[in-house]
Amino acid sequence: MMGKLKLGVFELTDCGGCALNMLFLYERLFDLLEFYEIGEFHMASSLKTENHYDVAVVTGTVSSHRDLELLKHARNHSNYLIALGTCATHGDVQASVELPIREKLKAVYGDEGNPMKALDSKPVVEYVAVDLAIPGCPYDKNELYQALMDIAKGIDPVRPDYPVCVECKLNEYECVLVKKDLPCLGPITLGGCNAVCIKSGLGCIGCRGPLPGEVNPASEYEILKGKGYDDDYIVRKFKTFARWEP
Amino acid sequence: MIIELREFARVEGNGKAEIVIEDGDVKDVRLKIVEGPRFFELLTLGRHYYDVPDLEARICAICYLAHSVASVMGIERAFGVEVPEEIQLLRELGLIGEFLESHALHLYLLVAPDVFGYPDAIRMATKHGELVKEGLALKAFGNRLRELIGGREIHGINVKPGGFGRYPTQEGLEEVERQSEALLRLAKRAVRLFAQLDPYGERVKHFVVTDGYLWGKRLIAEDKEPFHYTERIEERSLVYSFAKQSRYNGEDFFVGALSRLLLKNEMLTPEAKRLFEEHRERLETGYVSYNNLAQAIELVYSLERAGEIAKTLLDRGINGENVPVEPREGEGIGYVEAPRGVLIHHYRTDSEGRITYSNIITPTALNHAMIEASLLREAKALYGEADEGDMIQRLEETVRAFDPCISCSVHLVKL
Ligand code: SF4
Ligand code: SF4
Repeated sequence: MMGKLKLGVFELTDCGGCALNMLFLYERLFDLLEFYEIGEFHMASSLKTENHYDVAVVTGTVSSHRDLELLKHARNHSNYLIALGTCATHGDVQASVELPIREKLKAVYGDEGNPMKALDSKPVVEYVAVDLAIPGCPYDKNELYQALMDIAKGIDPVRPDYPVCVECKLNEYECVLVKKDLPCLGPITLGGCNAVCIKSGLGCIGCRGPLPGEVNPASEYEILKGKGYDDDYIVRKFKTFARWEP
Repeated sequence: MIIELREFARVEGNGKAEIVIEDGDVKDVRLKIVEGPRFFELLTLGRHYYDVPDLEARICAICYLAHSVASVMGIERAFGVEVPEEIQLLRELGLIGEFLESHALHLYLLVAPDVFGYPDAIRMATKHGELVKEGLALKAFGNRLRELIGGREIHGINVKPGGFGRYPTQEGLEEVERQSEALLRLAKRAVRLFAQLDPYGERVKHFVVTDGYLWGKRLIAEDKEPFHYTERIEERSLVYSFAKQSRYNGEDFFVGALSRLLLKNEMLTPEAKRLFEEHRERLETGYVSYNNLAQAIELVYSLERAGEIAKTLLDRGINGENVPVEPREGEGIGYVEAPRGVLIHHYRTDSEGRITYSNIITPTALNHAMIEASLLREAKALYGEADEGDMIQRLEETVRAFDPCISCSVHLVKL
C-alpha cells in the first residue's frame, strides 16, 4: 500500500460537535486510520506537524481574525479541503444574529470595543474555495466516513440531492407537517440525516440547509402561513441555519 | 516577559494562556479564550419558546442535552408548568448519558494520554488498546442514552417543554438496564486508575452545585443555604477573553464533579458512595486535579443510577403523555448539572411565549477565575524549578483537569 494520506482537522468557532462527531465513528475511526494519518486534530491530539495536508477538514464559522488565519493556513497547506457541518457550509445559528458586530459585542460584553478582533460569523465557503461541502448540524457520520473513504480511493464522493421528505417516505414516518401541523422544513431541506427529527415525531428545523436547485421556499412559506404561523416566525425559521430568503 | 502557551490541545474549543513574568517571578496568568463569540442570548431574543431549546443545544455538542434540559426547565418555570416524575426520570436518564459520554471522553481520550505519556489516545491505543476500547464503550453507551432521550447523539430535538417528541420503548429501557450493569466493571477500573494521579493545581475554597444531584430549583454552596445565582454570583467582562469571569461572593470558586461529590455525597448510589468514602480524604483536600478522580466515581454513579431509573420505569410502565404548555408572561431559571458543573439558563417571556430576556452561564465560565488561579499557583511553583517544556506540559494538564469546554464559555450576556 502507498503511504497514508495526511489529515488535518481544523476547528474554527463552533460548538465542537462536528469535530466530536468524528470521534463518534468509534471503531470506524480506526478503519479510516488505515488510510489516513492525523497531522492535526486539536481536540484529540497534542501533535501538530504543520506542513502539508492531503485532506483538510474545517469545521465552524469564521468569527474572529484567528479563525480567518487558521482557515487560510488550512487552505494553503492542503490539496483537498472539506467544509464540514452547517457552520462551515452555511453559517449555522451564530450567523443568523443580524446586528453589526460592534453592537453585538456591546450588548454582550459592554463597552470594551473589539480588542479580540471578532468578526461577523460567516461560513468557510464565503472565504475560500472548498472541494467538498458536507452540511448538517451535525453532519451524518456515515456521509463523512464514506466521503473520506472515497477520497482515499480516488473516487469523487457522492453528494445527496433530495429533500428530507424522501427519507420520511422511505422510513414510513407519518408526515408531521400535514398530520400534526408542526412547522417542518423537511420539504425544502437537503436530506441525508435519515429524517432523524421526524423519527421523534417533530418537525425538521432545517439543520442541513436548503436543498440546492429546484427547491420552492415560497410554497413552503404559504403552507406555514396557512397553518397560522406568523411572518416573523417563519422568516426566522428559514434564516436560522442558512441565510434563506423566502 | 510573557510566556505564551500555544492553544490548548485536547480540550474542547480554542483557548490559550499567557504567563506574565516580572523581576524573575511569575506575576500573573491570563486565560485567553480565543474562540469567537456566538451570541446565543441575542439569538434567542424574540424567538418563540418552542424553538429555543433546540437552538440552545447548539451551544455545545459535548453537553447539548444539558443545554436543552436547562432551557426547557427555564421555560417551564416561566410558564408555571410542572412535569410528572416519569418525565423527570427520563430527563435524568438523558443527562446521565451525557455524564457518561462526556466523562469518558475526558478521562480516556483526553487525560489518559498524559498519564501514559502519549500525545493522544489514538497513539496510546497501540500499547493500551484495551483501555481505549473501554473508554469508547462507556462513551458509546452514554451516546446511546442521548439518542434514546434526546433524539440523536448530538443536537437532538426530542426534549421539549412539557415532555418529549417520542418516549423510549420497553426494549430500549431493558437494554439500558442490561448495559449499565455490564459496564459497571469498567467504570470501577477507571476509579482505580485515576486515583493514582498526583495532586496539582489550586486548592478549592468554595464549591457551588445545584441542590439536587443532576438539577435543582436553586444553587447551594458549602453552607447548604439555597440561593439564586443573582444573589451571590457576579460576572464581569475581560479585555483579553471572549469568556466572562464569575465570582462567588467576590472570590473564585469551583463547579464540577469534585464539587458535586463533596457537597452531595449523601445522594450517591451505593457503590459510588463506597468509592467516595474510600477516597474521601484525598478528595477533601480540594486540589482541582482530583476532579479527574471525582469524574471517574461519577461514571460509577451514572451507571448505577441509569440501571435504577430503567428498572423503576420498567416496573411501572411508561405512560408517554406530555403536559400541556400554555405560554404566559413570566420568568424562570433552569439549573442543571452539566458534566462540567452548574449550567444556568435564565429567561423572561411575554404573553405569546416569546423570549424577552435571556442569560446563560456555563460551567467553564463559572470556573474561569479558578482556572486562572490554578495556573498561577502551578506556574509559581514550577517557574525556575522545572524546564520550560515540562512547566508548559504541567500547566496544560492543570487546565485539562477542569475539563474546560471553551466553546461553551463564550456567550454569556447580561442585557
Ligand atoms: S454545524 Fe452544528 S454541530 Fe457542527 S460545529 Fe456547527 S453548531 Fe456544532
Ligand atoms: S430532520 Fe431536519 S433538522 Fe433534523 S437532522 Fe434532518 S435536516 Fe436536520
